[in-house]
Amino acid sequence: MSKSSDWDIERALDAMQASGLSRRTLLKRTGAGALSLGLVGFLAACGDDDGGGTSEAQVIPKAEISETLTFANWPLYIDIDEETNQRPTLQKFQREYGTRVKYVEEINDNVEFFGKVRQQYEQGNSGGRDLHVVTDWLAARMDRLGYVQRFDKEEMPNAVRNIEDAVASPDFDPEREISMPWQSGQVLLIYRSDRTGGELTSINDLFDPKFKGRVTMLTEMRDTVGSVLLGEGIDPEDATKDQALAAIEKVEKASRDGQIRRFTGNEYTRDIARGDSVAILGWSGDAVQLIADNENIAYSQPEEGFMIFTDSMQIPVGAPNAFTAQKMIDFVYQPEIQAAITEYVNYVPPVKGAREILQDRSPEVAENELIFPDLAQAHNFKTFSEDEEAEIEAAFQRAIGA
Amino acid sequence: MSFLQRRRGLLPYLLLAPGLAWLLLFFLVPLYYMARQSLEEGTIFTGFEFAWNFQSYTDAIANYDEQILRSFLYGGMATLIAFAIGFPLAYAIAFRGGRWKNALLLLVIVPFFVTYLIRTLSWQTILEDNGWVVNALQFVGILADDGRLLATTAAVVAGITYNFLPFMILPVYASLERIDGRMLEAGYDLYGTRRAVFTRVTLPLAAPGVVAGSLLTFIPAVGDFINAELLGTPRQTMIGNVIQSRYLELTDYPTAAALSFILMALVLVVVLIWARIVGTESLMGVEAR
Repeated sequence: MSKSSDWDIERALDAMQASGLSRRTLLKRTGAGALSLGLVGFLAACGDDDGGGTSEAQVIPKAEISETLTFANWPLYIDIDEETNQRPTLQKFQREYGTRVKYVEEINDNVEFFGKVRQQYEQGNSGGRDLHVVTDWLAARMDRLGYVQRFDKEEMPNAVRNIEDAVASPDFDPEREISMPWQSGQVLLIYRSDRTGGELTSINDLFDPKFKGRVTMLTEMRDTVGSVLLGEGIDPEDATKDQALAAIEKVEKASRDGQIRRFTGNEYTRDIARGDSVAILGWSGDAVQLIADNENIAYSQPEEGFMIFTDSMQIPVGAPNAFTAQKMIDFVYQPEIQAAITEYVNYVPPVKGAREILQDRSPEVAENELIFPDLAQAHNFKTFSEDEEAEIEAAFQRAIGA
Repeated sequence: MSFLQRRRGLLPYLLLAPGLAWLLLFFLVPLYYMARQSLEEGTIFTGFEFAWNFQSYTDAIANYDEQILRSFLYGGMATLIAFAIGFPLAYAIAFRGGRWKNALLLLVIVPFFVTYLIRTLSWQTILEDNGWVVNALQFVGILADDGRLLATTAAVVAGITYNFLPFMILPVYASLERIDGRMLEAGYDLYGTRRAVFTRVTLPLAAPGVVAGSLLTFIPAVGDFINAELLGTPRQTMIGNVIQSRYLELTDYPTAAALSFILMALVLVVVLIWARIVGTESLMGVEAR
């Protein structure tokens, strides 16, 4: 049997070589095939619409407490017991509600996360997520595109009662219906005290020619532009588009002249630790860590005021356990729970009463200005209209080199 | 079997079908969607509508000509430097390697066991302002006392060259290896000087490897964005960075898609010109006459 099939194969191969199929005819025929398929597809899909969600968010209906909950967050943003590798807050939640929380640290960058989930959220599919935590400008965008659900505030009494005034009413969500702060952070001056020859107090110190080529700023537009506006004496919450564009021009000029070395995410921690940069804009959570590790690094809250950013919890469309997610949000707004989280992550908590609890337990945390700043000095960035925002963002991207 | 005997012409297509299907599904179809996207107009808020919007292409070329030129410049420089470093090395391994050949080749490949991103990050540490490299150069006087290597054009080009060097060395080595020693002997027998034999026998015979190596180095180098991001300043941004920023940060998908096509078209043009100069026979590896 095998012998005759061997011959068959031989003959088939000979036939193939004799068939006159050359590279040229193959390319021609495949090209023609692909082109005709493509043409059909082109015509069929012509005039297709893609994107553009509505912003009619649905209020979450009442339901039963679920057995599981999926919580997407940034890394190192919740308390963790280093010995057992468990997260005490989530364990406490399970004890109270019986829900097992699946905690996924999948968010590393706002635009990256948006790029990842956009298609799913567009279809109304949350990818299994019940909660995600994103920075306020992305929270605003998620709402505009109709990717998140509205809270039923009756189910969140703790949140309503305990939210800090400073973050209770942002311009993109004045009633806090589609976002609830998780933690806030400050944008500060961080510098090498051994290289600057003294303390830095003003944002404009970053433009001091003494530090040419040793200054870095942040790739987060609102943090950098907001800080520069404060340095100019303008409140970023009331700034006009032209003022923002002028601030961006100032930054662009400094970058062109070589004053600003580069624009970073949290890689700035490496640069300043190595001494490649000497005076930078950075975030308060990192500052706590940098100062603890290196006695030559110091921080300063600029005298003009500082930018505050807030990362908020939202419930995406299509979340399978939306009702329980609300309970989780409410749960972390209890001062004792929040105190435990803040003690570990060292960012600014949005909950009244957390500081008092920490006074006894961890006074160095309670007294730390990085964690409990004077919020009167804190400024948010105005939420511009879509067109203005697009223009400002494009100008900023050009300024930082892309 | 008799089905195939009756339709002999079909056999080649059947054998090629898996490869063609893969190419169609994972290359042509995405390419088509990207082409469609480049002609769309709108934002993520208003939705994207297909509108034969060739404006994206003209705007993209007008706005980013600097980055496009810079990418080709850096890519070209990286290829030339890689050739300058790689060819002598490949020659040495092929003709003088002896029993160390395999070990040397391994040394060429070993850096690739570490992922691209980490290799580039490690250059940040090597070139840091207070590191031994910068200190040595300052001591010798090549670098000014307050000069730096990181966050400069030199660092970006060096990074790109380093990352693509094995792509130049290996193909060149492969074609040098294949040169029949008797050809060289014949050259010497015909009263050829060492220089003449090199330029008129070795080099043309190595041409296929050189062409392959330079293409493998140049094409990815032009589209690179990691080196510019990690080792450079905003004044070194390349077209890859622009595409990334347009796509991720600004969600301006039509411009990003248009830029990708422009990049592809320009690279194709350069490759065709290069192929013309070198002669297409050498691409096919036909022995030089």
